[in-house]
Amino acid sequence: MSSHSRKSLLLAVACAIGAYLFFHVDNFWGMVLMGLLVVWALVTALPMMDAAWRMKVGFVATVFFGILIALWPTFEGLSHGRIRCPQYVKDRITFGIVKGLDLQGGLRLVYTVEVEEAIRDKRDRFADQMRQDLAVAYGIHSGEGLLKRDELAKLDEKVHIYEPESAVLRIKFKDPADTKYVDDRFIKKYSAELAQMKGEPGEVVFKIRADVETQIRDKAVAQAKDTVNRRVDELGLREASVTTRDEDIIVEVPGQDERTFNDIKEIIRRTARLEFKMVDDETDFFGKIPDSEVPANEGIQIWSENAPAGPGKTVKSSYARITKRENESMNDALERFKKWTSTLQVPDDHVIGFEKVEDYDEESSKFIEKGWRTFYLFSRAEVTGEYITDAQRAVNTQSGMPEIYVGITFSPTGADRFEEVTGANIQRRFAIILDDVVNSAPVIKSKIGGGRASITMGAGDPDTQLKNAEKLEMVLRSGALPAPITPSNESLIGPTLGEDSIKKGGIGAAAGMALVLLFMSFYYRKSGVVADIAVLFNLLIQLGILAAFSGTLTLPGIAGLALTVGMAVDANVLINERIREELRAGRSPRAAVDAGYDKAFSAIIDGHVTIFISGLILMQYGTGPVKGFAVTLVIGIIASLFTGVFCTRLVFDWWVRGAKVKRLSVGAEF
Amino acid sequence: MELFKPGKVYDFMGARKFWITLSLTLTFASVILLFWPGPNYGTDFRGGTEIEVAFKRKIDSGEVRHAVIASGQFSEPDVVEVQDPDPAHHSRFLIRVQEISTVDETTKAAIKKALCLGVEETNTPECPVNAHATEVKFSAGGDKLAVRYDLEPDLARIKEQVLGVPNVKLRATAGANPQIVNPRDHRVEVQLQSKGDQLMDVLRAELGPDTVPDSALRVEWVGPRAGKQLRDSARNSVAIAIIFIMLYLAFRFDLRFAPGVVVACLHDALVVLGAFVIFRKEVTLSTIAAVLTLVGYSMNDTVVVYDRIRENLGKHRGKAFGEIINLSVSETLSRTILTSGATMLSVLAFFIWGTGVIKDFAFAMVVGIVAGTYSSIYVAAPLTEWIDHRMSNSGKGGGTAAMKKRLRTARA
Repeated sequence: MSSHSRKSLLLAVACAIGAYLFFHVDNFWGMVLMGLLVVWALVTALPMMDAAWRMKVGFVATVFFGILIALWPTFEGLSHGRIRCPQYVKDRITFGIVKGLDLQGGLRLVYTVEVEEAIRDKRDRFADQMRQDLAVAYGIHSGEGLLKRDELAKLDEKVHIYEPESAVLRIKFKDPADTKYVDDRFIKKYSAELAQMKGEPGEVVFKIRADVETQIRDKAVAQAKDTVNRRVDELGLREASVTTRDEDIIVEVPGQDERTFNDIKEIIRRTARLEFKMVDDETDFFGKIPDSEVPANEGIQIWSENAPAGPGKTVKSSYARITKRENESMNDALERFKKWTSTLQVPDDHVIGFEKVEDYDEESSKFIEKGWRTFYLFSRAEVTGEYITDAQRAVNTQSGMPEIYVGITFSPTGADRFEEVTGANIQRRFAIILDDVVNSAPVIKSKIGGGRASITMGAGDPDTQLKNAEKLEMVLRSGALPAPITPSNESLIGPTLGEDSIKKGGIGAAAGMALVLLFMSFYYRKSGVVADIAVLFNLLIQLGILAAFSGTLTLPGIAGLALTVGMAVDANVLINERIREELRAGRSPRAAVDAGYDKAFSAIIDGHVTIFISGLILMQYGTGPVKGFAVTLVIGIIASLFTGVFCTRLVFDWWVRGAKVKRLSVGAEF
Repeated sequence: MELFKPGKVYDFMGARKFWITLSLTLTFASVILLFWPGPNYGTDFRGGTEIEVAFKRKIDSGEVRHAVIASGQFSEPDVVEVQDPDPAHHSRFLIRVQEISTVDETTKAAIKKALCLGVEETNTPECPVNAHATEVKFSAGGDKLAVRYDLEPDLARIKEQVLGVPNVKLRATAGANPQIVNPRDHRVEVQLQSKGDQLMDVLRAELGPDTVPDSALRVEWVGPRAGKQLRDSARNSVAIAIIFIMLYLAFRFDLRFAPGVVVACLHDALVVLGAFVIFRKEVTLSTIAAVLTLVGYSMNDTVVVYDRIRENLGKHRGKAFGEIINLSVSETLSRTILTSGATMLSVLAFFIWGTGVIKDFAFAMVVGIVAGTYSSIYVAAPLTEWIDHRMSNSGKGGGTAAMKKRLRTARA
């Protein structure tokens, strides 16, 4: 035995031991990697050809077996259990190819967009605008920038704007004579969107015009659909279908996996409504509630804390706190808490925010969820999620314990607003509210410029934190839903294609591939067979990578794969034609193979790079199915270069250098 | 076995005038066809009519599909079985067809008038206050009217008003029709007879009243899966891709080569879309995928021919550009035929045995492969020659010579 074989065998033994160790600690992919390295080492130990060739063959073998393992569970699914895959492997390979809606069906979810919420939002924005205009008219405000809180208070003494119904705005003046401030110019400014209605004396009433309301509805549904579409896209489910029907959004997700469905539902539902509201600590709302109205038997108590109230000032501020009962979920506790707070007389320019209370437990050195607390907030959202342009999760390691947070970036307009708001409220508390729950309420230390903020993930073990951060990042980036959506219907659906169509499609794909393979082996003989093997290998690689992305296989997708087989032979046709030309010119087989590969390579690489570029760009800028197509294209192109050029060359090299054939079998005699 | 005798040079460029004229005609015809009559967008882009039916007996989706196709009144439907937890409904299906009901403008105007929209007088015998619409909206599916009133409306009166319009019929529904959907803003929904009802009639005629219930669970217009957003993103990304490909080719070959590839691609994509219009094939998301695949195929094919031209430009210094093209195309001819043949074979089976979407996909591929192969020879190469000629006329000395010089310097 030569020395290199001994070394390779030693390496194989070392890798086998490594694989066993990985198996022992239940690290599946480590074990697979080591196992594949054993294969590689064993191939390099073969007494054939030179070391470089053996290394390459070993690499090809490693890729081949690696993909077979990755595809194992998928094969079981596609062959209806004829190829068995042990439970051990299935538990550890969580990805796989999913059959598309047309082949297998899936889950159909119907959501209703709560458009009323969008209308209310729009109405609130009009109210804000009107307050500003009236403040200018009264001479309280200069007209530049936002209303400050003392200006708002002053304005409220003279005029009060309230919104009893979703599309109606009522402006009530203390002094009926002040209705003169709602002059023609004022009315004209809003007349495109608002219609004036009859009101009580000293009161002006506006209603959103019917056509404007319809527009808001339509826009809310269209935006909600786009957002859901983006979220579904981010999940990598590129063959899911999203459509609208009146005020409903219909999502159809392929597959049958309960776990995936739950993930999807959670992510689609997340309103991802991010709002920044100021905390009103000066009113001390909860401090004024008599003790008799606080139900201690519900575990609700009034606590107090010192809160900053502007530069150099501190006030005592009270808040209510509920303690979670044993075995009660946090959500149930919140429900109970909300039931109580809804009995309180909260003025309509304020709302109550809720934040989780967590205690650090020394023994287990973990945070434990204890219950909820309140914040007394101004109902006006100073900055909202619509100004977010990007969200990125990150880890803060400065404060001892690593803390996971999601950093958000605002658009220029949002950044300006954020800076203005923080500048006007130094040394006050600012609540960051995500989907109606206060995430945190930090004190504004100084004006925050640059348009960045962060949302902490709170307590919990790092794994859960990271998972939550991932989800949050995804929903924030895909944009908030313009209005909440509620699930109204959910059903499992069958395939859109009939059994006969699926069968015919399968036969079509198999027949097409078989024809190409037969044609190649007939035309190029042994070289054709080599090309055929390369093409099949290419197909396997594409399937493997599709599985790794948990991609979806639809009937057009199958047709596309059959087509790639046709196109992947191109590289081999180019090479074989070149080799023939060289042989015709009287070169030896060895020289012909070298020259053939060299010359064909420039055409192959140019063609591949051109397609690769277009694939990359479609991937970057395309959405939905276009993006999905691009991913497949890029994978196919790389795989085709690998199998068509790299792998086939190994066989030719072996023929001309190892077996030293006198004649190359390329389908023509020279 | 050899397809073409090695060493033989065919005179491709001799007949180029004819082929270029043909290409130009086809391209222009395709552009015109794309605007008029325009592509036949499928449910993916246009939406369609969806009904949900609980059949009275067990039935499989194939049977339903055949019934719809057999009538000849509808496009190929999507028939999807819905698993119902309620065992009383054992065969619940969603049936989607491409056809949507349309209400023409005169009928729309007549309905609006009947509902007293825009009538000044607020209280006349024809238009009493409680039947005086303030807004009338037609649904995109053409089967619903959303009408708003200032006061609580008189439903019986509204029904009378709508039925007074010729060619308008109300759908027989389980609930009230018209009905108030939103009491807050007095919004009334009136359901009209639509394609969905026609679809139910067809099913009843084909499958018999013992199978098909009296009314569908739902009849609805569904929006498109792929909206403007997708179309825009596809178009924009293709445009950006073209720029980058031109840059790459200008860098790898020569500036003169770059436009040829792009024009050839556009030519192929247009011809395929034109063929879709002529044969009234449905344009779906799969068609988009097919066209994108073809663009890739066409680029690859053109680049292979270009590669030979580049090689031969260096080898045969004295020859005219046209001769070089002839030589290069002839040399690569057997590879061109083999590759396009192999690709064709792989989709041919789908074209012959496939149904519906798959058949259309294969159709696009078959047309596209022919166009892609042809365009490398008769669109990309002559265009490069023409640009070369123009450049040589404007600059000093021969263009071909100039190009060769650049190639030489590039190689050195």
